[in-house]
Amino acid sequence: MDADRRAAFLKQLHDAVVDMDEEKTPRLCREALEAGIDAYTAIMQGLAAGMDTVGRLYEQKEYFVPELLLCSDAMYAGLEVLRPQVKVGEHEAAGKIIMGVVEGDIHDIGKTLVKTMFEAAGWEIFDLGKDVKLERFAQTLRETGADVVALSALMTTSMMAMPKAIAMLKAVDPKVIVLVGGAPLNAEIARQYGADGYAPDAIAAVETAGRLFTKAA
Amino acid sequence: MHPMTSRERTDAILAGKPVDRIPHFPFILGFCARNLGYPIATIYSDAEKSFAAQKMTFEQYGVDWGPLYGYASYGTWEFGGQIDMPTGAYQQAPAHKCFPVKAEEDIDRLILPDVRTAGCLPIAMAFSRLQERHETPISVVMGGNFTIAGNICAVERLCRWMIKKPELAHRILRLATDHILDIVTHWVETFGAERVIPQFWEPLASNLIISPRQFRHFVLPYLVETGERIQELGVRHVLHHICGDQNANLPMWAEVPMGDPGLCSFGEEIDIDRAIAVLGAQAVIIGNLDPSLLLTGEPAEILERCRQTIEKGKRAPRGFMFSVGCELAPETPGYHLFLVQKALERFGTLGEP
Repeated sequence: MDADRRAAFLKQLHDAVVDMDEEKTPRLCREALEAGIDAYTAIMQGLAAGMDTVGRLYEQKEYFVPELLLCSDAMYAGLEVLRPQVKVGEHEAAGKIIMGVVEGDIHDIGKTLVKTMFEAAGWEIFDLGKDVKLERFAQTLRETGADVVALSALMTTSMMAMPKAIAMLKAVDPKVIVLVGGAPLNAEIARQYGADGYAPDAIAAVETAGRLFTKAA
Repeated sequence: MHPMTSRERTDAILAGKPVDRIPHFPFILGFCARNLGYPIATIYSDAEKSFAAQKMTFEQYGVDWGPLYGYASYGTWEFGGQIDMPTGAYQQAPAHKCFPVKAEEDIDRLILPDVRTAGCLPIAMAFSRLQERHETPISVVMGGNFTIAGNICAVERLCRWMIKKPELAHRILRLATDHILDIVTHWVETFGAERVIPQFWEPLASNLIISPRQFRHFVLPYLVETGERIQELGVRHVLHHICGDQNANLPMWAEVPMGDPGLCSFGEEIDIDRAIAVLGAQAVIIGNLDPSLLLTGEPAEILERCRQTIEKGKRAPRGFMFSVGCELAPETPGYHLFLVQKALERFGTLGEP
């Protein structure tokens, strides 16, 4: 396939994600595979590039949560087609991350968006869901040896579970990077709680994790 | 000016008359339970104990207005879903367990709840009878239209439908609006329009979730309709808790009928100066110290931030009441709440009219 046609395919994939098109995205993914485009390339230069644009639109306040959710649906519909075709062992994940909403808190919309952005950035994700017992974070860290743990809380009271969770995680692996986020938090509280980083939104979470991970490596 | 009682202060602020000092409006439900040694769930499940715990805590910390009953996940239980009362170490308020609408076809099965029996409403009514007996404002607390809709079908689903299937979003919003009007009508018939001050908490309409354009299309028309219909019932004041970052929505809130004066409380994300500029001509401004600061801050910083908020609030033409921007964490050190009282006494006095 010539470079122009390949670029046009990838651009269409990008646009389908940005346009929130959950039907068109997987169809284009199938067509891309049939045309001989490598699945990993289609993911990174099509779907993930689309989510990068979505992230920028969110930062510019062009897109809000409804648009992010639908773009995310489109991306996942495409990933379902492409992922099984990625050659095992050929591409390393950007890093491993455990994420979840802490015990006592069932508000997971923020965590869902964080997951999408890490997915688009090529991280291997262990999503523990919401109302996650603190010991489960530590147990999953033991089992996976993840590089980063991202803790989310929307309520002031559930935020108070974080210092204990962070202490438990650091006891398992003192080098693990712990990020926190959610409405009641800020950088100062994150510091008080012993977190390595704070992110005010999903886009910042990926940037912060990437920066801290690179620094630690 | 002689020191006023809480009731005198509340009556004066609603009547547009001078007060001796800035009142302290309560948003401290779970804190009151902890203060009395009760489980937090007591605040939401036992009207008598909830009212008593709040009344005693208000007396201790110089809080005005009167006890409140309500929570942000209102609507789930009333429309047939399930909620969990807070029982764990890190839980603050009732939370959704199972939404009434999990798929499109569930909407056809939704019916308007019976406001005498549905969900928490019998407890809310028992609580309001205590408000009547103790002559405090009868504040029936609900979610705003959009927040109730999100509590019926889950906010993620509502968000998706707003773009992909807006007719479904509007059907849920219609039900939420009709339910709100049923409740207010029931309360007015029970207590009289002049005593009822409905409260609407609207966290899901925050710009952390939806755009101002979506607010104009999916939130504002229902707020305006609700406000107009409530005023037709003879209700004099409506309180809106404009929760979270709603800076981009703020000018639209000024289009919502909310009585004379209305009452608007704000999340800490909104600057009080701007709140006054946009809504100060029509509403008493209430707000908005960051509850995280009261939980984790140092005393000197808390006192200073209280002072700043009070000084800004004093410029509100229809009056100002101090409050936290969102519910105070139950674990907040008692001394930090005492600092609010101290700040109001030191900086909140208004002198002779």
